[in-house]
Amino acid sequence: MTELILQALYSGLLQGGSYALIALGLALVFGAMKVINLAHGELVLLSAYIAYSVESGLGWNPVFAIPVSLVVVCLASVMVYLVVGRIKKDREINSLILTYGIGVILTNAILLIWKADVRSTGSSWLQEAFVVGPLYSMRGEVLFFVVSLAMIVGLWWWLSRSWYGRAVRAVSSNRNAAMLMGINPGYTELVSFVVAGILAAVAGVALFSYGVISPAYGNVLTVKAFIITVLAGIGSIPGVLIGAVLLGVAEALTVTLASSALQELAGMGLFLVVLFVMPNGLFGANGRRG
Amino acid sequence: MKSKLALIGALLAVYVGVPLAFGGDSYVMSLVVASMVIGGVALSWALLGNLGGMVSFGHAAFFGVGAYTSALVSMKLGVPVLVAILMGGGGAVVASLLMLPVLRLRGPYFALAILAYAHIFRILATEWTSVTGGSGGLASVPRLPEILGYDLSTKTGGYLVILTIVLAFAALYHFIRVSHYGLALRAMHESEDATRVVGVNSTLLKGLMLVVSAFMCGVVGAFNAHYINFLEPDYAFSGLWVTLPIVAAIFGGYRTITGPIIGAVVVYLVDQLIFKNIIPSGHQLVLGVLLVGMIVFSPEGLLSLVRKFMRKKHVAA
Repeated sequence: MTELILQALYSGLLQGGSYALIALGLALVFGAMKVINLAHGELVLLSAYIAYSVESGLGWNPVFAIPVSLVVVCLASVMVYLVVGRIKKDREINSLILTYGIGVILTNAILLIWKADVRSTGSSWLQEAFVVGPLYSMRGEVLFFVVSLAMIVGLWWWLSRSWYGRAVRAVSSNRNAAMLMGINPGYTELVSFVVAGILAAVAGVALFSYGVISPAYGNVLTVKAFIITVLAGIGSIPGVLIGAVLLGVAEALTVTLASSALQELAGMGLFLVVLFVMPNGLFGANGRRG
Repeated sequence: MKSKLALIGALLAVYVGVPLAFGGDSYVMSLVVASMVIGGVALSWALLGNLGGMVSFGHAAFFGVGAYTSALVSMKLGVPVLVAILMGGGGAVVASLLMLPVLRLRGPYFALAILAYAHIFRILATEWTSVTGGSGGLASVPRLPEILGYDLSTKTGGYLVILTIVLAFAALYHFIRVSHYGLALRAMHESEDATRVVGVNSTLLKGLMLVVSAFMCGVVGAFNAHYINFLEPDYAFSGLWVTLPIVAAIFGGYRTITGPIIGAVVVYLVDQLIFKNIIPSGHQLVLGVLLVGMIVFSPEGLLSLVRKFMRKKHVAA
């Protein structure tokens, strides 16, 4: 039993890496533009399906799909930005409905192009066992966990050290003050959407490399990313990583101890508990959401 | 006086005219009934959005809970169908009470939290096999009854029932809007903080709107279960019960009462009669495009777009 639980903890940890990438994209755009992009999960899924096409069409390892995914998903993300930017009034409500609509478009486009079947990778290189002591995983899981960590560190460096990253943070915390300092908020918003696109592209390829995908999964991913940001609170990258790992572990434990059908319920339960007990999240700054 | 006459005329047209014109064609009639179901959900969604200022992506939860509650009390406890439908609304109210803690979240957080709730209810319906029949669903949900010798289980009968339900809800919506609650809610739309300052309990009011909206949606879901005599979790909690009503409400103008209903009839019929034939799977794509287009070009609904256009023409002339 202990071995099973240890194994579940390990699998959850590995899963947390790509969850963190998805959640960071969502949080970044929300920070810069105060817009929750409800189509974010669908962008991730788009990247996953591109990886599927590269594998089934060209016979390559899905990892090589990353450059194509980066281009397509970033373009899609920029298009979301351009449409959202056209909203004139009631931006909060209208942007939600708008990005929801974009999510519906993407889900159905994926359904039309790739059909409703469930897909997973056929690459034996990625599915090869990777054993650490008593713990088992697929090579793809470990590979993408490392990639995710590297990207999170990269993002942290970008946000805290580079000019554009600091501009994004400045606009997040006080838009008007940032404008007075000579930052163009429109450009900063665009940059945040591009970076969210990059994160989504890599996360999508990761999901396909060790999991199963289907057209309806995008919506689930958006909800998961949202749950993680609630767990983490606003404005904390390590918080998002820990929240993502918590969600991954909660799901893996539910699958091990109860049933895989209840997997989604675990995340929801965690979400509700945090909402009731600590509405600011585990690592969030003080102040109410809204 | 004139508007009263117009109202009576319109009522006569929908109660007598529509059954007389389409009653013989059961395909068209079933489309009309389905569009009214969407209209009922769209109305409940618009009430929450317009009066409560909240965007919900979780109305599928109320729809499904209403449907299951009504089907189960009528099947297992033998409650008469029309009473069971009201109890379905009650079930949805209970579901909405579970959502009340979410009200302390605002804007995007509320919208996403309610989406998460909808997932929970779908999973519960699938997994709680002993009560709900699991993913296999419930077959032979009791039909609508016969009243005064008139069989409501026919297509036309179903139409008259759902029409009455939707019109009753439209009236309820109207009375809420003109009451002093409606005044407070309109003020909250302008500035929630300022409204709190003058002594309005804004959280209570928002909670009330959520409950009313849930009740409406639950009753419509319950009606639908008895009308089609079948239920399964993927159908009852389908994302379609979220997407279609939102498109309908936005299309018709979600700040009006008639807009969502008319929008539902137009959008659903066009979708089923035209787009479904062009793209059989994935025709919801068109709905997404429509939604995006409406928000970008005319978030107040098609009517205001037409009005804007007319005004421009007027100035030009």
